[in-house]
Amino acid sequence: MPREHLLKIGVSGIRGVVGDFLTPGLACAFAQAFGTYVGAGRVVVGRDTRSSGEMLHHAVACGLLAAGCDVVDIGILPTPTIQIFVGDTRARGGIAITASHNPPEYNALKLFNSEGLFFNSYERGELLDLYHQSDFRRATNEEIRRATSDYVTAPRLHIERVLRHVDAARIRQRRFRVALDAVNGAGSVMTVGFLRDTLGCDLHAISVDPTKPFPRIAEPRPDTLGDLSNLMRSSGAEIGFAQDPDGDRLAVADETGRVLDNDDVLALAVDAALRRLPGDVVVNLMTSSVIDEVAAAHGRRVYRTPVGEANVVEMMQAVKAVIGGEGSNGGIIFPAVHLCRDSYTGMAFLLERMAETGEPISALAARLPRFYRKIGKVAYEHGRLGSLMQALEESFPGVETDRSDGLKLILPAGAWIHVRASNTEPLLRMAAEARSEAEVEELYARVLSLFD
Amino acid sequence: MTQAAKSLRISHVGLRGVVGSGLTASHVLDFAAAFGTFLDPGGAVVVGRDPRASGVMIREGLLAGLLACGHDVIDLGIAPTPVIQHSIRRRNAAGGVSIGASHNSAEWNALKFFGRDGTYLSTAEAGELLDIYHLKKFAFVDWTHIGHVTPEDRAIERYLDDLAANYDFAALRKFRVLVDCCNGTSSLILRRANERFGTEFILINEKIEGVRFAHDPSTTRDAVALQLAPLMKPLAADAGFLFDVDSDRVALAAEDGTPVSEEMVLPLLADYLLPRAPGKLIIANISSTALLEEIAARHGGKVVRVPVGRQAAIDALSTYRPEQIALAGEGTGAVMMPQFRFVYDGIASMLAVLSMLHESGRTLSQILNSYPKYSILKGQVPLVTQRIPALLMDLRERYSDGHVSVLDGLRVDWPGRWFHVRVSQTEPIVRVICEQQGDPPKELFESLLEEVRSFA
Repeated sequence: MPREHLLKIGVSGIRGVVGDFLTPGLACAFAQAFGTYVGAGRVVVGRDTRSSGEMLHHAVACGLLAAGCDVVDIGILPTPTIQIFVGDTRARGGIAITASHNPPEYNALKLFNSEGLFFNSYERGELLDLYHQSDFRRATNEEIRRATSDYVTAPRLHIERVLRHVDAARIRQRRFRVALDAVNGAGSVMTVGFLRDTLGCDLHAISVDPTKPFPRIAEPRPDTLGDLSNLMRSSGAEIGFAQDPDGDRLAVADETGRVLDNDDVLALAVDAALRRLPGDVVVNLMTSSVIDEVAAAHGRRVYRTPVGEANVVEMMQAVKAVIGGEGSNGGIIFPAVHLCRDSYTGMAFLLERMAETGEPISALAARLPRFYRKIGKVAYEHGRLGSLMQALEESFPGVETDRSDGLKLILPAGAWIHVRASNTEPLLRMAAEARSEAEVEELYARVLSLFD
Repeated sequence: MTQAAKSLRISHVGLRGVVGSGLTASHVLDFAAAFGTFLDPGGAVVVGRDPRASGVMIREGLLAGLLACGHDVIDLGIAPTPVIQHSIRRRNAAGGVSIGASHNSAEWNALKFFGRDGTYLSTAEAGELLDIYHLKKFAFVDWTHIGHVTPEDRAIERYLDDLAANYDFAALRKFRVLVDCCNGTSSLILRRANERFGTEFILINEKIEGVRFAHDPSTTRDAVALQLAPLMKPLAADAGFLFDVDSDRVALAAEDGTPVSEEMVLPLLADYLLPRAPGKLIIANISSTALLEEIAARHGGKVVRVPVGRQAAIDALSTYRPEQIALAGEGTGAVMMPQFRFVYDGIASMLAVLSMLHESGRTLSQILNSYPKYSILKGQVPLVTQRIPALLMDLRERYSDGHVSVLDGLRVDWPGRWFHVRVSQTEPIVRVICEQQGDPPKELFESLLEEVRSFA
């Protein structure tokens, strides 16, 4: 593995393999830059269950205190819960110590402003400059503040917010049999409480021990959720949920044990949201056209952004969207709860739809318009990227294009092709979607042919 | 000499500085990682701090560095330095760190490092630690081996157990003892001792404070004279003690309200301990009172003089067998006794003085007045670093009629009189100390100061 991927410091923050790469010194300096940027006042720090989390917590607290901030430790909690607490308590900002879906040897700092939201791209650039200049505030003994902890308020605030938008009584009445795989992550304790106690489900849970390492690949995808599928079958659960280590992403299995396509899960959430509130939808440009169909059925518009949660959130704020997300990585963003990926809102929405309709989750998914997608990657030579993109565009004369993140060709009837250079490797990532398997194969083959 | 150079000192003694302008989070992280790398892999590390507000920040950074190197941390919270050292041995830890600037004012802070036995690192060990710090090649472990923190709240109780095994608290109950805690950690021990043993320690400035101490926390006669000494007679106290913030140093006030020179702690304890350890050694630096030699001679003991500073005393200790030594310390109220395996311990020093009062049946002023009178004068002059060698040469020639020692700066002895001129390790000053049997050696002191100033 090339060394440079083991540590990345950029506008998204700092991320790397803990030990020789992501060191306590780096985390401390980054936190001190952050504390300098947001100013003296309360800064919230929470983390997921990674074994490096406690160590990095102390490094981050050191940097924040050194910058003159008050540190509020809220312990091990899902990232959306941390974000909501920051916003609701009007802290100066917040730091979540989590590498999200990355493998256990990684960790990272996610940074939030006083509303508990990602900084916009300009702010992120400023913060990075501050870090590189090492131009930190250095508080004196008189200016150094305290470190306090509060492990109970944040989960309560989060659950209260979700419950404002779902009919919990209706869900409880049904006493759904539910399976859960929390990957021993930050949701381990809170999700069990949410599903069993708050929503009255008959819960069958695995991997809910926050002191243990991740028992599977951290990213919740169909190919990593074999244990959940088995649990569905053995427990006879009506629906299964899987979270990533920091509880922002959600994957869903139906009553047959089949793991749903994440774009379909987002589509079901979009449908549920648009039934509640009027407004538009924002997704990244790789998310399935199924979203456009669902939005159109409600007479609503879909905006597209470059890939990345921060990009989606920035656009959602700008257009005051009521729902958004990124299909492929299981992120559902419902701003009425909070402008962040929130697996708890997703779980509540799906359970409520099942209660409302009396239908199994497989039937709800089956009623979504069917799209087929094919993704892949191919190596390319430096310097050839421009001509490849050009050749691709010329081979589909007259179609609408989107160049905000690589090149997307928007074809008739919801079909599309997207290619973009990987940020980390000399690879071109390609995706195509269409209404039939045959059509998507043909589109994908046409892209591949350009590389001959 | 720039301002910056006065606010940070990284040396064999550890890391010390004014927080913010000198000592920063990044220094703490690097020093913690260096210590984590220096220690045997895997062992636990005991950590405690004094109440300075900056200690909260420094503790976080220290924990991060130690955990990242694979050490579990036993966290004592706010704890006196001697208690931290005691806990290292009790918990069989790989080492320990005390966060606190001891007798310095509140804006300072420091890290003191201890090895497996709870004593300060030797100069050779401290040199290795410094090399790792400067090289910045730390032994960070992978994610499966990162350490975890456990809080420990029985440390003071267990320390008191050990004190009770060495001192007769029941006998000391009869004394009314006034203590100036200077808002530091000594109150934690003494309040508990009152509850547990029925002793009567009356505490002033006992509130733990992070930002403003009631007065300069140095253990000197001047500090004793501020609040402690004037209260002795009104409160009818039998003895008075002043502790620095982390309780490793102590100074005294007599029952008649006299503030006692910090130089007297060592001779008093020598007088108490030598009769029960005849022929043993006292390790003291060459700046402390010549009364020590007189007292040692009375009891057939011997004084070993070493350069000033903690490291010299630590290194000297390690060149003798523990049973050869009765006492080691400095003229600053920092004293180590074999009962506590040679740890600077102000609380134990106080209990030894009280035991002496109990066993002799005399008052503190009676004991002090029984000693031949020595008068010591101390002064300081800002230094110009380049001219120090010339200054010392000049003084050496001028006073060549005395016995000359160049162990640390220049010390010249005549019968019943001596002076010592040296460069401070912690501040950019030249210290001048002059002592004489009987009245103060004013003339010698003034002419020395004048000569030193002529080189500034």
